[in-house]
Amino acid sequence: MSLSIYLTGVGGQGVLTIAELIMNAAMRRGLYCNFYPTKGMAQRGGFVKAQLRIGDDAMAPEIHKGGADIVIAMELSESLRALDYLKPDGDIVIYPYRWLPTDVMLGKADYPDEASVMEVAKKRTEHVTMLDMTLLPEGCADNIFLLSAALKYTALSELFSSDELASEIKTRFPKGIESNMLSFEAGMRS
Amino acid sequence: MIKNISGNEAVAIAAVNAGAAVITGYPGTPSSETVGSLWGKNIEGVHVEWSTNEKVALEIAAAASWANKRALCTMKMSGLNVAYDSLVSIAYSGCTGALVVYVCDDPGVSAGMPEQDIRGFAKMTDMPVIDVASVDESYWLTKYAFELSERIQSPVILRSVTSVALSHSTVDIPDMMPPAQAEPHVYKDIEKFTKAGAKICMDQHKRLIESLEIARQYMREDVINQLCIAKDTSLGIIVSGVCASYLDEGMELARKHADFHAVSSLVVRSTVPLPTDEIREMIENCDTIVVVEENEPYVEHGVMLEAFKLGKKIRVIGKEDGTLSRIGNFDAMSIAVAVLTALDCEIPSEFTERLGAESLCTKRPIGVCAGCPHRGVFMSINEALRRMGIKKDEAIVTGDIGCTILGMSPPFNTLWTEVSMGASSPMAQGFIHAGIKTPVISTIGDSTFLHGGIPGVINAVQNNVDMLTIIMDNGWTCMTGMQVNAGTSKEYQAKEFHNRVDIAKIVPALGVEHFAVHDPYDLEGMTALIGDMLKLSGVKVILARRECAIQAARRKVKYGIMSVDQDKCTKCKLCIMKTGCPGLVYDGSNVHIDKKLCNGCGICKSLCKFNALVKEEI
Repeated sequence: MSLSIYLTGVGGQGVLTIAELIMNAAMRRGLYCNFYPTKGMAQRGGFVKAQLRIGDDAMAPEIHKGGADIVIAMELSESLRALDYLKPDGDIVIYPYRWLPTDVMLGKADYPDEASVMEVAKKRTEHVTMLDMTLLPEGCADNIFLLSAALKYTALSELFSSDELASEIKTRFPKGIESNMLSFEAGMRS
Repeated sequence: MIKNISGNEAVAIAAVNAGAAVITGYPGTPSSETVGSLWGKNIEGVHVEWSTNEKVALEIAAAASWANKRALCTMKMSGLNVAYDSLVSIAYSGCTGALVVYVCDDPGVSAGMPEQDIRGFAKMTDMPVIDVASVDESYWLTKYAFELSERIQSPVILRSVTSVALSHSTVDIPDMMPPAQAEPHVYKDIEKFTKAGAKICMDQHKRLIESLEIARQYMREDVINQLCIAKDTSLGIIVSGVCASYLDEGMELARKHADFHAVSSLVVRSTVPLPTDEIREMIENCDTIVVVEENEPYVEHGVMLEAFKLGKKIRVIGKEDGTLSRIGNFDAMSIAVAVLTALDCEIPSEFTERLGAESLCTKRPIGVCAGCPHRGVFMSINEALRRMGIKKDEAIVTGDIGCTILGMSPPFNTLWTEVSMGASSPMAQGFIHAGIKTPVISTIGDSTFLHGGIPGVINAVQNNVDMLTIIMDNGWTCMTGMQVNAGTSKEYQAKEFHNRVDIAKIVPALGVEHFAVHDPYDLEGMTALIGDMLKLSGVKVILARRECAIQAARRKVKYGIMSVDQDKCTKCKLCIMKTGCPGLVYDGSNVHIDKKLCNGCGICKSLCKFNALVKEEI
């Protein structure tokens, strides 16, 4: 058994937290994990990726192109960076949040729309899930929403039950249990 | 004990458990968490410090190893360039305790700076290099490196790479348990610890070369490098460093595209000195040898040399034949490509085909954070030059290492050089001596100034150069993850005994006549100050002092509450264009303040001609 998960997003979104929650759940199962986060030089607003590899035995840090079972993308444009890493029949779940760089805000640079991201993602795999962000209750954590949606739509469910991940979230964030469970349930209903 | 820790932390725990009494370092991604994970902790008998620079860090650790203690010194690859002057001399002298120098290389450049391979430095000084392949090995090989250093009485380099140093991995290693420390013991031996005369130097050189050979023998006995000779094959593969962790996965990937027997394999963990006996055994058993290592083909060259010595013609697949690149980091596919090449199989199209999706991806230039005081400096420089009637392209502003370099990014585009720690001021002087007539300004951060920036300013004072240096003092070593430096406020230093070194007292002592301290959040005042300074002759220094916004935000510091008066806002977006602040958002119809990001620095406020940006004082 092994699972390679490639996560992308923008610094400040909580992408790395998603990876850490999955890693902690895997560790509780007694599985081996390698979590390799890559942050850009910007504290916020820069490209962030994480490579998470879970298995019965030790695994190396980098996922090769075409080697990821799952891509979890937390920002629409950044999902494009992950596509080449996905296996041809892999699962990708995209939270289509648009974190606009200044040049895009000012109309000086382009930003891909959902349809074009969908089109290129479909060239890679049939299993593309573009989430509906309006399903997330206001004020609730979007990374928890994305994690539970990933559980619903990807091979993550072959490894973890929703109870396991929910309990991991509760352990990690003892203060925001109610709000986080709202996010989690919204993701399951997405 | 099963735990999930990073490669850097594993090195830290191993060093403490190996009995290191002194642990020093200078922050540098990806090596920082080794000292970082120990900083401020009370570990019986262990001195831990962030030193002023890597050279200082190494000298401190080395002297401890000359007092019969075990010592660790940590840095990124660029840091070894700084420390190397001393390292050569220390390698010649050797040590009486143990000295392990932990250096992280960065193939694939995810942490910034060149893709230099520090094994080249080790070869030049005949120092053993132990290359770790995983977080697990980061623990066990750190412990081994101390033992080896003590046995050969020479420093040992422990080399990691970003993907191992920053990986968090499940490992079964002991908890931190510092052993009892013995009393220090110093042997005062001129023949060993000075370089006074040719005989001393050449005797030391002889000992150094011999120590490397002894290291090779020890590592053979201890089976540090693993050789596995397979029957019925003439193909062998040699992997080193993190590439060893991709071996099984890479072979599996290759087998999906070709049918072949088990191959002979050698995992090289000591890349200096190479395990020549094991390499020879492989050469004797194989006609084709694949060598997979990141960065430079040092192991590959060693294989070729041994084959030459044996007089056997073999085919070597690696970098010299162009199969693999000296650029970038590797993964399982690199191994598969090399093996398939060795088998004369075609490289499958799925290995090379790309969707081209990344080209559609929006570019995210690295910029300064919301509320960053550096923003005030870059904007003030630009405005001061504009007021002097100087076009941005005509003036020269040099940059330095760290967050200072973010001034190269839009919307500032203020500076355009980045060389090494402290180079901004000497580079500025060079431009002036070359005959540049427009103002030349150098910019440098606080930790960089303390690390290597002071000699450049002294040089400018001696030569009475017409130059302005702006020291951007935000109180922390920020780009590498907010470490404490000598200039950090005393209240944030780890221990009561730590002192703070005030840059405001250093600069006048260097002989700088025109010196001012100013808050970069005061855009108008800073602009006027830069303008005034540029009219003066000789060396001018401005200390732009305001704490890093990220560090202040961690203590919930806010300087005011900003809002946009939508009735007054004309949507000219000048505030966004000039500041590039992530705290200002244009949603397509209105300009807003992102309350989560904005710390109320107020830099944007002074730009708005319509008074639409309102700051509520708190």
